[in-house]
Amino acid sequence: MSVRGARRAPAGLLVGAGVVAALALVPLVFSTYFTGAVASRALYVGLAAASLAFLAGYGGMVSLAQTALYGIAGFVMARLIVQSGLDPVPAALVAIAVAVAFGVLFGAISSGSEGIYLLMITLALGVITYFFFSQVTAFGGHEGINAVRTPSFVGDPVRDPQPIYYLSLACSVGAYVLIRYLGGTAFGLALQGVRDDPVRMRALGYNVRLHRTLGFAAGALLAALAGVLGTWHETRISPGTIDVSQTIQLLTIAVIGGLYRIEGAWIGALLYTLLDTYARGLTGRFETWIGLILLAILVVSPDGITGLAGSVRDRVRGRRARAAPGEHPSESLSRPAPLDPTQVTR
Amino acid sequence: MSAAAAASPAAPLLRVRGLVRQFGGVQAVRGVDLDVAAGERRAILGPNGAGKSTLFNLVAGDLPPTAGTIELFGRDVTAVPVRRRVRLGLGRTYQTSRVLRGLTVEENLYLAVLGAQRGHLRPVRTGADRARRERARAVAERVGLGERVDTVAASLSHGEQRQLEVGLALAPEPRLLMLDEPAAGLSRAERVVLTRMLLELDPQVTLIIIEHDMDVALTVAERVTMLHQGQLLLEGTPAEIRASELVHELYLGRGHGGG
Repeated sequence: MSVRGARRAPAGLLVGAGVVAALALVPLVFSTYFTGAVASRALYVGLAAASLAFLAGYGGMVSLAQTALYGIAGFVMARLIVQSGLDPVPAALVAIAVAVAFGVLFGAISSGSEGIYLLMITLALGVITYFFFSQVTAFGGHEGINAVRTPSFVGDPVRDPQPIYYLSLACSVGAYVLIRYLGGTAFGLALQGVRDDPVRMRALGYNVRLHRTLGFAAGALLAALAGVLGTWHETRISPGTIDVSQTIQLLTIAVIGGLYRIEGAWIGALLYTLLDTYARGLTGRFETWIGLILLAILVVSPDGITGLAGSVRDRVRGRRARAAPGEHPSESLSRPAPLDPTQVTR
Repeated sequence: MSAAAAASPAAPLLRVRGLVRQFGGVQAVRGVDLDVAAGERRAILGPNGAGKSTLFNLVAGDLPPTAGTIELFGRDVTAVPVRRRVRLGLGRTYQTSRVLRGLTVEENLYLAVLGAQRGHLRPVRTGADRARRERARAVAERVGLGERVDTVAASLSHGEQRQLEVGLALAPEPRLLMLDEPAAGLSRAERVVLTRMLLELDPQVTLIIIEHDMDVALTVAERVTMLHQGQLLLEGTPAEIRASELVHELYLGRGHGGG
C-alpha cells in the first residue's frame, strides 16, 4: 500500500507469523474437546463474522444476509453429498459457487440501499433463506440434513478434530491475508471509496452499484467457506443454524470483536465460543450475561475489543479533547459510532 | 485532447439549451442557455439561490434535468450517466468537500486517477498501480499536499480538504474542469495559492468556476455568466461585469468582500 504501510509491514508480518504459530500449537497443548468444541468452531464462526466485517469495514455495508449465504453453501453441499452421492470436495466447490452466485444476486438487490435500509433488505433476504430451507423437503425441511460425509483428509471431526482445526486455520489465515491484500488493490480501494462517499465515487467515474455487488460476492465467498467448514465440523446442517437468532449472534460476534477490524471477527468468535461452551454450565441466564458483556464492551469501546486500546487512550485524553475540539480532531469523539466505517483495518 | 479540439474549433465544448430543473414547485434553473468554448475560463456568479450549483449538478449529471439538452465535447449527454461523462473528460468539485475520509491523500488521488481509466475491478496489484500512485503524488504536490500524502483525509484541516477536493477533480486530467466554490472557507493565504494554481492550469483545459469570492473569480475568469433566480442575467468580460450597474445592485453591492 502506501509508504507508511510498507514501513510497518515487517513488524505486522512478524506479529502475524507469531499468532499463526501459536494457533498451530493449540491442538498439541489443549484437549481434544477444546480443539473441537472451542477452537475449531471459533475459527469457522470467525470466518463467517469476517465476511460481515469485510462488507462493513471495506464496503460500508452491514449485511445480515451472511448467515443465509453460510446456509446456502452448507445445505447445497450437504444435499449433493448425502442425496446425490457426490464426493465432499467437489460438492463443496459447487456449493461455494452457488453461494457466491446468490451473493451476487443479494448484492444486486441491496446495492441501491444504504444504512438501515440495507440492514432491513439483507435481514429480509436472510429470513427468506431460512424459511426456504426449513420448508423445502428436498433440503430435509425442519430436520435439515444429517450424516454429511467429510473428505478423507478431514476424517471424523468428533473423534479427531485436529484435521478440521488445521483446515479451518488455513482457511482463516488465507481469508485474512486475502482481505488485507484486496484492500490495497484497485478493486479494494475503490470499494473503500464507495464506503466513504458514493456520490464522490460516481463523480470520479465509478459504477457504485457494481462495486457494491461484487463486494457482496467477495463477502459471500468467505461466508460460503465458513458454511462448508461448519457443516463438515458438525457433519450436519439444519435450518436452526441460520435462523434470525444466529444472524443476530453473528452480528454480535462481529461487533464485540470490532466491526471494522477484520481480525476482530475471530477474536469476537473466540470470546463468544468460550462463553457459549463454559458459561452455559455456570449459569442458566447465559443470554442475559452475553447481553451484559456486549453492552459493557460497546459502552467502553464502540469499536469492540480490537478498538479497546484506542478507546481507553481517548478516554484518558478525553477532557483535553473536549476542551479544544477544534484543535484536537479526536476521531472517536466526532464520529457517530458504531456505524461509521472510516476506522477500517488498513 | 488536442485532436478533438482541432476537429471542431468552432463548436463549443459545452452547449446547454433551454435547461430547466424543477424541485417540487420551485424552478431552480429556468431555461438557461450556455455556451463555453474549448480552453475558456468561465466564472458563474450570482447571489445565493440563483441556481449556480443546480446548473453544475445538471451539467455534471448528478441531477437529471426537467427539460432541455446538454452537449459536452460535441455529444448530447443529457441522458448519459455521471460516470460516462467523467470518462469523456469532465472533472468537478463539490461546494462542500466530498473527500474519501477513510483513505489517505495518496489513495484519494489514486482513485481519482483510476476513475477515468479502465481496471476499476482489478483485484490484483499491477505495474499500472505504481504509475497511478506516482501521478497521485504529483497531483498532491501540485495542490499543496505534497507533505500530507500519507495522511488520512478525515484528519486534514478544512483548507487541506478543499485542496484535496480540487486535486480529486484535477487528477484524471479532465478536459472540462468544474469548480464549485473552491475558495469557500479558505484563509486569505490559501486563496492566493488557489488563484495562482488556477492561473497556471494547462491552457487547453476548459474551466468553469462558481465562486463567491470576486477576487478569485474575476482574476481567473475570461468571461463571466451572471445567474439570477435561475435565469441568465448577463454575460460578459470581468471588466464589463465590474462596470455593470445591474450587477452592483443585485450582487456586488451586498456580497462583495464579506461574502
